[in-house]
Amino acid sequence: MSLSRELKDLSQALLTSKSGKIGIIILTIVFGISIFAVIYVPFDVVSKWNEPTFWQKNPRTVAPQWSTFLLNKELPPTINVASDEFNKNEYFVTTSSLKYVTLETLITYDYDAFPSELSAIIYANYTEQGPLAIITLERPDGTEAVLYRNILTNPVNRLYISSDRDIRNNVKSFLINLGVETSRTIYPEICLFAIKNEDMLDTRKARVLKGFYRIRIEVIAAEESDTAEAEFQIYGQVYGFAGTDSNRRDLFIGLIWGAPVALAFGLSAAIVTSVIQSLLGAISAWYGGLVDEVIQRVTETYMILPFLPFLIMISIFYKVDIWFLILIIVALSLFGGVTKTARSVTFQIMNEQYIEAAESYGASKRRILFLYIMPRLLPYIVANIVLAVPAYVFLEAALSVLGLGDPMVPTWGKMISDAYSGGAAVHGYWWWILLPALLVMITASAFAFIGYALDKVVNPRLRER
Amino acid sequence: MLKKYLGKRVLYLSLTLVLSVYITIIIANAGGMIDDILSAQIKYDITTNLARSPGWSQLPEAEKVRLITERFTSAIHAKGLDKPFLERTFIYLWDALTLKLGRSMFITSASGTKQISVIILERLPRTILLFTTGTIAYSILGLVIGLRMARSPGSLFDRITTFFAIITQAIPPWFFGIIFILLFAYQLRLVPFGGMVSVPPPSDPLNYAIDILFHMALPLFTWIFSMFGSWAYITRNLTMQSSQEDFVTVARAKGLSERMIMRRYVLRPSLPPIVTSISLSLIASWQGAIITETVFGWPGLGSLYFQAISILDAPVIIGLTVVYAYLLVATIFILDIVYGLIDPRIRVEMGQ
Repeated sequence: MSLSRELKDLSQALLTSKSGKIGIIILTIVFGISIFAVIYVPFDVVSKWNEPTFWQKNPRTVAPQWSTFLLNKELPPTINVASDEFNKNEYFVTTSSLKYVTLETLITYDYDAFPSELSAIIYANYTEQGPLAIITLERPDGTEAVLYRNILTNPVNRLYISSDRDIRNNVKSFLINLGVETSRTIYPEICLFAIKNEDMLDTRKARVLKGFYRIRIEVIAAEESDTAEAEFQIYGQVYGFAGTDSNRRDLFIGLIWGAPVALAFGLSAAIVTSVIQSLLGAISAWYGGLVDEVIQRVTETYMILPFLPFLIMISIFYKVDIWFLILIIVALSLFGGVTKTARSVTFQIMNEQYIEAAESYGASKRRILFLYIMPRLLPYIVANIVLAVPAYVFLEAALSVLGLGDPMVPTWGKMISDAYSGGAAVHGYWWWILLPALLVMITASAFAFIGYALDKVVNPRLRER
Repeated sequence: MLKKYLGKRVLYLSLTLVLSVYITIIIANAGGMIDDILSAQIKYDITTNLARSPGWSQLPEAEKVRLITERFTSAIHAKGLDKPFLERTFIYLWDALTLKLGRSMFITSASGTKQISVIILERLPRTILLFTTGTIAYSILGLVIGLRMARSPGSLFDRITTFFAIITQAIPPWFFGIIFILLFAYQLRLVPFGGMVSVPPPSDPLNYAIDILFHMALPLFTWIFSMFGSWAYITRNLTMQSSQEDFVTVARAKGLSERMIMRRYVLRPSLPPIVTSISLSLIASWQGAIITETVFGWPGLGSLYFQAISILDAPVIIGLTVVYAYLLVATIFILDIVYGLIDPRIRVEMGQ
């Protein structure tokens, strides 16, 4: 009975059983995602994930891009007009001593749904007097809406076209000029892109006016050296592979970063607790007598302790991060079910002849334990590790839902809990809940499948007739 | 024999209870949490009591402060709060064991009191209602399905149920809860998405009961859905082990009916280990109730826990942990009795 044979048996069992194969395939993919996440994501997610300004150019809570195929409807992606995409025209009129800067861009809007939001940034470079800025939207039907006309007082002017009250009033007067009834609430992102009729204010009945839209930003400044740049965002209704959350964060990045965090958390907790519990079980059986009695009683007591309430109390009363949490979990699961199985397996091993042989040539008790008994327990330990991983992955998720997880690291549990508290269920933001939930479920099932296959080897009594 | 067995278990479980409550106290008071809570409450009591006494407002400010401090120190002394840390923890331990859980900081019961024992007592029946119903339902369902699987191992039914059991065993009930709420409550609008009764609750008792059942449907379904598979699987394996025993072959050779063999020779020896493994999963699910109830908005102990966590009501958190320690020990004790009743080694000797 050598160590390598035991492990070979295990891996063979894995590759021959169907559930083992499924589990291995899924797990390989999840490992692949983890490696991809660590290599591909070009920044330190931990610091950027909770920084709202970093995600400003993404639309808020929109579905993944591929949902257009499901809906069979061309939903708009986000159109970002960067400053160098504007056609810039500047000239200085000496007679009036005014500097004119005109920024123009043409956008093709051929989608079946309205944008989710509009915003613009004007960067004004002026010496003393703030320049006058005018933003005009020229629609495919020839009508023109002046969105903004004001003196700029800052070098950087962020204009929230969808929510700014002055801009809404400008849009209102544009609608009045068109002869449209304006008693409803005005959503600029809808009526500016709607076919001109009496329904253009109705969020349900308005229809998209497709075609070329021209955005013109005119800046009139006092000095010849003054100049201006602009950016324009037409936020869409779909984004990336996984959509965004209410903080405009790209969920895809959170999802793939959740993989290494979940694996690291689940595996490290499972490995440490399983190894310690098995060792204690082996010690209990091997040394026997008082040691056995004590370890058995402590194990039984440990199994009745209110584990989760303790964990909650510790993480509330002493603020902890995710790695300290693992330490506590290990401390709270030094003894457990594995101690019992390891003990009974050790009893079987102890009766074998090679142990007797080792004793007879004078090997010390400790030597026999670590060199002859523990290796034999390895298959059980491996099976228990694999079976325990899902529990720890979900434990982390549960703590996140209770608001006790590490707030800095994007984990799957954290995303689900954010979605839940962000009302994703009420508003039907399915991707926000379902994608992380699906990933957790798939990962957990992969471990469960492998664990099931291994369990049949280490507990032969479970084998079918 | 049953008496001796139960006596031993009671002794052992009481020790376990004392230990878990003591650990609770140590965790809570290692940062001085209980000390702070108690002295704040004593101070509050003294101040409000004195303020009610006649002539208090006429006293000069310095005199007021002196009186409060004086009474405060004597109260602290009487309570033993000035004793060393270790001794204090034993005072707290006794208070906790006798369920003198003190007052909450923010949370009140429906009747308006801040006594934690009252708040918890108000919630406890609701948790027990949901989880006992669920446990009984899934154990019966699991047992029946498990026996059916054991009858034809390797069949399609067996394989599908095993597959289902593997997945549901890995995924906790609260997780299914979130998905089912999304599906059945928000998308299909079949059931309410949370709570225990409608707002406002129906006035006559019959409609009230129906309303509770209506709200219980989804949590109960989720609970049964996620638990019965693994129980069926355990039952299957244990009964298959005993059905390979020689005495079953003998019974079959005697020409006994399959039904009789199942009941007398297969199920009976498998029941004790089934109860043992179920007791462990029950302990896990009691604790899982903290999240499951939160997800379903079921106003039991679990969501009280969540409420206390979100507004940092430390006394309630400590009190609840103590009650959980009691709950787990009580669950094990009840299962011990069941075990004693079905394990022939214990039961038969009791009858003599």
